[in-house]
Amino acid sequence: MPIWRRYSDCVEPMKVYVSGLYSGGNPQPGVGIVRSLRQAYPKAELVGVEYSNRVSGIHWNDLDDLWIQRPWDELDLDSYGARVRAALDAGGFWISGSDLEAMWLAALFPDGHDHLLAPPMGALRRITKPAVEAASGLPVKIPTYVSTDHSDWDLHAFCREHNWRVWLKGPYYDAARTPSWDVFEAVRNALSKVWSTERLYLQAHVSGYEESVMLSAYKGELLGAVSMRKREITPEGKTWAGDISEVPDEFMVPLRQMVKELQWTGGGELEMVRDAAGQAWLLEMNPRFPAWVHGSTIAGHNLPALLVQAASGVRAVPAPAQGQEFTRVVLEVPVRPEYPLPPIPEPFAGAIGHSLKHPSGLTSLAKKLHNANPEMLEVVSEEGGPTGLPTIPDTFVDDIESYDFDAVETPQFLFMDSTAAGLFKRAGERSHRLSTNEVQVVSGYSIKTNPDERLIRLALENGFLAEAISLLEVHKALEVGFKPDQVILNGPGKWWPEGMMPKERMHAVFCDSVADLDRTVGAIERGEMSSAHVGVRIRTPNVVSRFGIPLDSPATFRELVAAVKRLPADTAFGVHFHMASSNIGVAQWWHLFESMLKWCRSIEKLSGRTIDILDMGGGWFPDDWHADDDSKFAKAVETIRAMLPNVRQIVSEPGKAMAQPSMALAMRILEIQEHEDDKVEAVVDASIAELPMYFFYPHRMLRKCSETGQLQPLGRGKTHLMGRLCMEHDIVAANVQLPEGTRAGDLLIFCDAGGYDRSMSYVFGRG
Amino acid sequence: MYLDAAEKLDEVRAEERPKAPSAGARWQHFPYSCLLHHGDTCCEIAREWVIANDFAQLNGSDLLSGPRWLRQKYEWGPSPWPMHWCDVVERKVIDCGAHSALAHEVFTARGVTAFRAQFIQSYTADALSQWRTKWVDDKVSDHWIGDDVIYHEGNALLVGEDELKLWDSSAGWWINPRQNGGYGSLAAVRIFADGQWGGGDGFRWGERRIKPNEWTQI
Repeated sequence: MPIWRRYSDCVEPMKVYVSGLYSGGNPQPGVGIVRSLRQAYPKAELVGVEYSNRVSGIHWNDLDDLWIQRPWDELDLDSYGARVRAALDAGGFWISGSDLEAMWLAALFPDGHDHLLAPPMGALRRITKPAVEAASGLPVKIPTYVSTDHSDWDLHAFCREHNWRVWLKGPYYDAARTPSWDVFEAVRNALSKVWSTERLYLQAHVSGYEESVMLSAYKGELLGAVSMRKREITPEGKTWAGDISEVPDEFMVPLRQMVKELQWTGGGELEMVRDAAGQAWLLEMNPRFPAWVHGSTIAGHNLPALLVQAASGVRAVPAPAQGQEFTRVVLEVPVRPEYPLPPIPEPFAGAIGHSLKHPSGLTSLAKKLHNANPEMLEVVSEEGGPTGLPTIPDTFVDDIESYDFDAVETPQFLFMDSTAAGLFKRAGERSHRLSTNEVQVVSGYSIKTNPDERLIRLALENGFLAEAISLLEVHKALEVGFKPDQVILNGPGKWWPEGMMPKERMHAVFCDSVADLDRTVGAIERGEMSSAHVGVRIRTPNVVSRFGIPLDSPATFRELVAAVKRLPADTAFGVHFHMASSNIGVAQWWHLFESMLKWCRSIEKLSGRTIDILDMGGGWFPDDWHADDDSKFAKAVETIRAMLPNVRQIVSEPGKAMAQPSMALAMRILEIQEHEDDKVEAVVDASIAELPMYFFYPHRMLRKCSETGQLQPLGRGKTHLMGRLCMEHDIVAANVQLPEGTRAGDLLIFCDAGGYDRSMSYVFGRG
Repeated sequence: MYLDAAEKLDEVRAEERPKAPSAGARWQHFPYSCLLHHGDTCCEIAREWVIANDFAQLNGSDLLSGPRWLRQKYEWGPSPWPMHWCDVVERKVIDCGAHSALAHEVFTARGVTAFRAQFIQSYTADALSQWRTKWVDDKVSDHWIGDDVIYHEGNALLVGEDELKLWDSSAGWWINPRQNGGYGSLAAVRIFADGQWGGGDGFRWGERRIKPNEWTQI
């Protein structure tokens, strides 16, 4: 038990420098630290350190003095470092309230300093997010993450795998949800620009309640720790109110060990989310006290005081607990006359106000630190490291190399012969493997994904059914060789164009509304159409879609049940469920599948009609469909059999998974324009008229070397590929790297363009 | 049993009642609310819809997540009893008894262990007065409003061997086991459950133990 001195026994007044006084919507802890220290050391001299007089915390009246520096972008770090050293040598203590300043101080004092109350560099390296390697002994998990060094193709796969519930995070601060590819690209560009690095990471979202553990330690000894649950949260996700409790033993014991191993000094915060099952997920560990630090003092745990007490040997005035819960309020305080409010910068034309974010120039400090030591702050280090280049399947290369590009006018879609044949063959074989004596599994080819006759013929040859959304598509299928009883008709436009409805019996008709169902039944009774199965498309709740019969109210569900009851007894009944898994994510698609089966079971039970045919799928990204082994699909068939034992046929419709890889788009570079900062704009003869899906997913791109003929994949870089159209948004690829030696006239090939790129391409700018 | 009838029962039994706990005394023998079923497809469609919709709303989340969608779809307020399944799903506003009954149904359908729960909660005289006016205006019994507390219904969810979480279904949140007193706090709780839980000590809720089928003062 240490023997503390009383403050009155000290010869010199204690001086504590506290930084991180920003007190905006995303506050730093400086003011909270100052309030706690004032309570513990009423006579101590508290000096506020800041790098901008725009930071409102400098006006807090507990501060005895201010040390206002010029912003980090102006600051000479060497001379400032010398002054900090002198302040510490003179007996002052320093508590950093800023992650980046703590990193800079750790670099400035590689051997530490008794009065620097911030963690050493070795500890900082081991808490680098997102892995937070030092926390491996704690009872927490780390949410799955991936570095943005990976290719766009791989990053898109990560987002799909995690249902687009992902965060793109900066190396030091900042995080944004990226629910779609275009948002991801925009946020990536913004964060890369702000933090001067491409080294960002994507992390899976964890739903749950947010909580933190705050700690205080000196030279590897844990002085105290508290647990805080957020009870009110700002729109930015920051704590507004919380409750404080003791850290449970199962966390405290390994935490103490971690602090010892890291030789931690200073404050720290472990930010976590606790899921519904009670598992804690660690989001990050901050090398400083959190902004809610004084909330803990209110609850009787003054951790900054424990830190100063341990470092100075001077006893802190005990903090009586005023309650276990705290909340924030908004306070107006007088501005110090020696630091009057600075003028507001002139608003840019059309802009509203100006941002208070990073007024001290933290982003400049990040840049300086990064330049000084690029390895210091690697956010994600992976052995071998990703190349950033997409993997190009061998069949793509074979198919592309089979073309004589001297004879190819660009832009031109290239049919990927062996790729397409392989995809259809494998899908057909999978369906065959999954079929049993009780239930037949058959693939469906969605004609709208690409109505190219070669693809429709491959579908026919591999045992697919043809899925049409209009009578024109029905006739296209029949022209290629499908029989009417191999055709499924669905969608709201199934009656268009008038007069083209086949009289022969089709395989199935699925209706998009109760009115559509009644109309279909009427047409069958009048002999105007015929179908072996008649069914409905259902729209499960909680999914944004304009298709199918909604089930989001008891009334619509009741109407559906009544309509199904009205079906003629001699007509086999079916249900159709389609949702683009590439949009909602793979795991969520499987949840929807299970949800759909539950609805089907209820429909069977309530209507008395059994379901004979189930048509499911839609919008699968090719890799998710083809790369998976049979196990998930086999399990799905088993589940269907268990829940709907009367189903005799399952139509599995992969959507664009068949068409998308089956074509590529060849284009030529028309002109290369070089700009400042290594930025390049290359104009190509293709455009968004040929690549309308550019905004929705990345395409794997190749350059054909004009000298060697070699196909070279394109990675990330500073080149924008501008389309030929005089349209502002005609940019077919942003931030790519053209291989050295690329020049006008060179050939580029965009793979993965055979789905909606092809079928929704339009004629534009061709005269 | 529905609330009006229960209120009468409570009155009848008041004389025989042993010394009641301080909070909840008025509702010592009060049963929890139950939805009625017409025994026909009208109620069965409603029930199936609630269960299937709950799974859809889960959206892949953990089965132990609270069904907050019920509170989002059905506001909390006065509702007349008795109430059938086919009535309850069509209403825009339902009371805590109906909320709790619906939540219990979906928890059970998910396959998790859930129990009906009764709460006594502390509120201010102003709040009680507001509610009394509202219930009286709607010509619905205000028996649930006491002098300084209210009777409320919710759910208890088993999340460990004998550990519980208490779900306030008409608020859409889990009741905080660390709170002690104050506006909206839990003054007493009764959980309806069979069996010897916690080796006879009852369920664990935070730092407390709650014996089933009897009022526990918080």
